[in-house]
Amino acid sequence: MVFGRFINWIFNFFRTRQDIRLGIYGCTNVGKTTLANKIAKDWTGEEVGEVSKVPHETRLVQKKEKVVIESKGKKLSINILDMPGLATKVDYRKFRKYGIKGKKAKERAREATQGIVEAIKWLNNVDTVLAVMDATQDPLTQVNVTLLGNLEARNIPVILVVNKIDLKKAKPDDVREAFPQYPVVDISALKGENIDQLYETVIKHARRAK
Amino acid sequence: MKLKMDFISSATLNGKSEKKKINYILKKVKKGSVLVLDGVMKPGEEMNLIRETMRRVDDGFPGIEVCSLRKEMKGLKLLFDRLSDGKERFWNWVTHGPAKTDLKTGMTLIGPAKIIKKIKKNPNSFSVLAEV
Repeated sequence: MVFGRFINWIFNFFRTRQDIRLGIYGCTNVGKTTLANKIAKDWTGEEVGEVSKVPHETRLVQKKEKVVIESKGKKLSINILDMPGLATKVDYRKFRKYGIKGKKAKERAREATQGIVEAIKWLNNVDTVLAVMDATQDPLTQVNVTLLGNLEARNIPVILVVNKIDLKKAKPDDVREAFPQYPVVDISALKGENIDQLYETVIKHARRAK
Repeated sequence: MKLKMDFISSATLNGKSEKKKINYILKKVKKGSVLVLDGVMKPGEEMNLIRETMRRVDDGFPGIEVCSLRKEMKGLKLLFDRLSDGKERFWNWVTHGPAKTDLKTGMTLIGPAKIIKKIKKNPNSFSVLAEV
């Protein structure tokens, strides 16, 4: 354990201190990959990963390195880390309604559980987090509460990104009521609404983890 | 169908390492019990409970539903709570053992996702929909 910390310290000391490791976290199907794609496409012209309506489409951590974002004359170099969606349960039977059955469904569920384990491990290696929430869903889920509690305990800066504000059912103010202590940006990653404000907020709040 | 609920006092889990707490909880939940804990785990312990749950997911156990109500602390109470955390950390550092911590003030419900269908949480209460 002590040796591991020493290695980590050495790694942090020598690693390039210019890029912020920006983790994109949240429950499944809140639009994390859509957001990662939007950011990456805006600044590099390339996407990060595939988007799907089927939960747990992202089952491995997807990365896009050295993405330089800019807002109001200020620049920030970030490494985008698009995480698998966090969940407390993964039931392979739920994939049936998306046409995924039998062995494929079980395999997908197994990969999804591994992805969640991986995303939790990565909490030790992110500098700043975008906690993405779906504006049409209740934000007070245990996954969100646990995630934010963890980030606070680790002193990792977090920005709440309320996605899907283009939908009629969207209630972005619910997030502000539930978590009033965090900076919040309402966006539609799909349509690019308010994305400039997100860049401005990231540049303002992002910092390397201590 | 029957539903088994276990009400666990904080004394049962206090002073146990994170690993022992998680094992205790998941062993009971995997057998089908719904647990009500007289306290809440630390955020890191809760996250590792999710991580360990994922490692134990199989065809018959899709995971858990969990909800905790943490008592908000302010002023002196918050200060004493932080000092207590510091004391725990210091003691664990001195003994070089796995961190042994007490539950925080609050309440937690943890049950198998097969039984607990939905938990609706409000800031100071929650309601549970179960199907047996």
